[in-house]
Amino acid sequence: MAAGTLYTYPENWRAFKAQIAAQYSGARLKVASSPPAFTFGQTNRSPAFLSNFPLGKVPAYQGDDGFCLFESNAIAHYLSNDALRGSTPQASAQVLQWVNFADSEIIPPASAWVFPTLGIMQFNKQATEQAKEEVKRVLTVLNQHLNTRTFLVGERVSLADITVVCSLLWLYKQVLEPAFRQPYPNVNRWFVTCINQPQFKAVLGEVKLCEKMAQFDAKKFAENQPKKEAPSKKEKAGKEAGKQQPQQQQEKKEKKKEEKKPAPPAEEMDECEAALASEPKTKDPFAHLPKTSFVLDEFKRKYSNEDTLTVAIPHFWENFDREGFSIWYSEYRFPEELTMTFMSCNLITGMFQRLDKLRKNAFASVILFGTNNDSSISGIWVFRGQDLAFTLSDDWQIDYESYNWRKLDVDSEECKTMVKEYFAWEGEFKHVGKPFSQGKIFK
Amino acid sequence: MALRELSSLEKFLGIKKLNKYSTQGERKVPVLQNNNAQSLVGLATISCHLVHEAKRRELLGDSAEQRAVVQQWLEYRLTRLDHCSRDEINIILKELNQYLVDKVYLAGNSITLADMLMYYGIHHIIMELAVQQKEKYLNVTRWFDHIQHYPGVRHHLPPVLKLPFKKR
Repeated sequence: MAAGTLYTYPENWRAFKAQIAAQYSGARLKVASSPPAFTFGQTNRSPAFLSNFPLGKVPAYQGDDGFCLFESNAIAHYLSNDALRGSTPQASAQVLQWVNFADSEIIPPASAWVFPTLGIMQFNKQATEQAKEEVKRVLTVLNQHLNTRTFLVGERVSLADITVVCSLLWLYKQVLEPAFRQPYPNVNRWFVTCINQPQFKAVLGEVKLCEKMAQFDAKKFAENQPKKEAPSKKEKAGKEAGKQQPQQQQEKKEKKKEEKKPAPPAEEMDECEAALASEPKTKDPFAHLPKTSFVLDEFKRKYSNEDTLTVAIPHFWENFDREGFSIWYSEYRFPEELTMTFMSCNLITGMFQRLDKLRKNAFASVILFGTNNDSSISGIWVFRGQDLAFTLSDDWQIDYESYNWRKLDVDSEECKTMVKEYFAWEGEFKHVGKPFSQGKIFK
Repeated sequence: MALRELSSLEKFLGIKKLNKYSTQGERKVPVLQNNNAQSLVGLATISCHLVHEAKRRELLGDSAEQRAVVQQWLEYRLTRLDHCSRDEINIILKELNQYLVDKVYLAGNSITLADMLMYYGIHHIIMELAVQQKEKYLNVTRWFDHIQHYPGVRHHLPPVLKLPFKKR
């Protein structure tokens, strides 16, 4: 019988699968989820951990005999007994079928729907509505299957039940309010029976089914924002490849955030309820920033209506709030691909259009330099906050990776010069080496 | 009939000691002969006694409420199921079917004596059901199939085929 340690952050539904399997099989499983045994974000980044688990992800299992496993389904499989895995070739294949079903059919829409309600993902109405439809489809399939069956495979609890229950856990806790789940009585019966089996209970505790559908938790989301600043490219790239779901990109992000945010669910429920009243659509992604004295609109008015060099720029420097705003230099990364100037201009205005919702919190002057087939694009951006704003919304991420971004030191001569030249569309533009062609203002 | 049930129950509970039974009356009510104490009369009474003896009290329900529900179904078995006329069968199946819509077991979330005695008692009825009726009382069919597959339950009774399920 397997014996070992499971590394995870607390309340991780992926780890639950392995823990419940161990409850059934009697595998001796120690769970390392809190310091000093395991500190999420530290232990799993340590060289020792990474040498055993190159992805640095949890849950991760290390047997007392040194045997190492990552990927929650593999760990749960290893910790199971034959009854859980399915003791005939047919049964074990069916178990595998439901395990995969959970990962590919349940988790993507469940995450897209639930994560915003936990404040760990931005709310997107369309994505949420689509996710609801997908969840309905999944529940219909399960309901039909369970119409004539007590458990998913055979007549006893198997790894299939464990996996699918854990995958549905957040849905049932957060959003599947009675009216929503009422059309799926067979699924409800099966789910409630499973979570009340002593082996499930030992791991999950008392599971409280959702009474009122949780909505986007804007407050929590805003609180979580600083935590996810500067997500390293490496981490992104290291995420499980090969997810063929349409929400691929979303899911990638969710996973990252999910692992960063192991907040205890009880707390989440309360805050979710508090956020119920707030209308998610109108929520300001910059809400988490402290108030600022610099009124961007006023500057924009001055810039539009009065002389740039004598009025707008002095106003800018007099009122600029260096805590609440930052100034960035952007440069198009692929100037050699720029051909006709009008096409290059469309590139700039297209980007502005896609960033429409950012207008309230940003100002930019982006200039096309040079002539046909010999041009470059660069600009000066003023953003609310100290970080690039693009990561705050999915809608904003289309263009910005095509640019190099450099934060300017507000006090430097370079910054003063660039602000002046780019805002006024005139000057030497020494760093460019090409003549001014056309300018575009984002305001 | 009742004696075979009790013997199956003994096997399920792993009781090694040989109990001696007899029956009394027209209805052949089972009696547990007890050498050094009073003899016990009645299926439910003897069953509960056996469960206690085997130290499997969880089979009588794991909370005050569940214990009451278990007793309710034992009473149902003896008063309704065991004496029902042909006409009443459908009423019973309907009641049971409705009750089992949202339940896997009759009481609580695990098997109890209620499931076992109801299973034993309803077996002859389910045996005779036509496919259409099994479909009509789908929740009963599902529950019955689950209980008959529960390890150690089905000793003296032949298995009843579940529906030849058609995929829609």
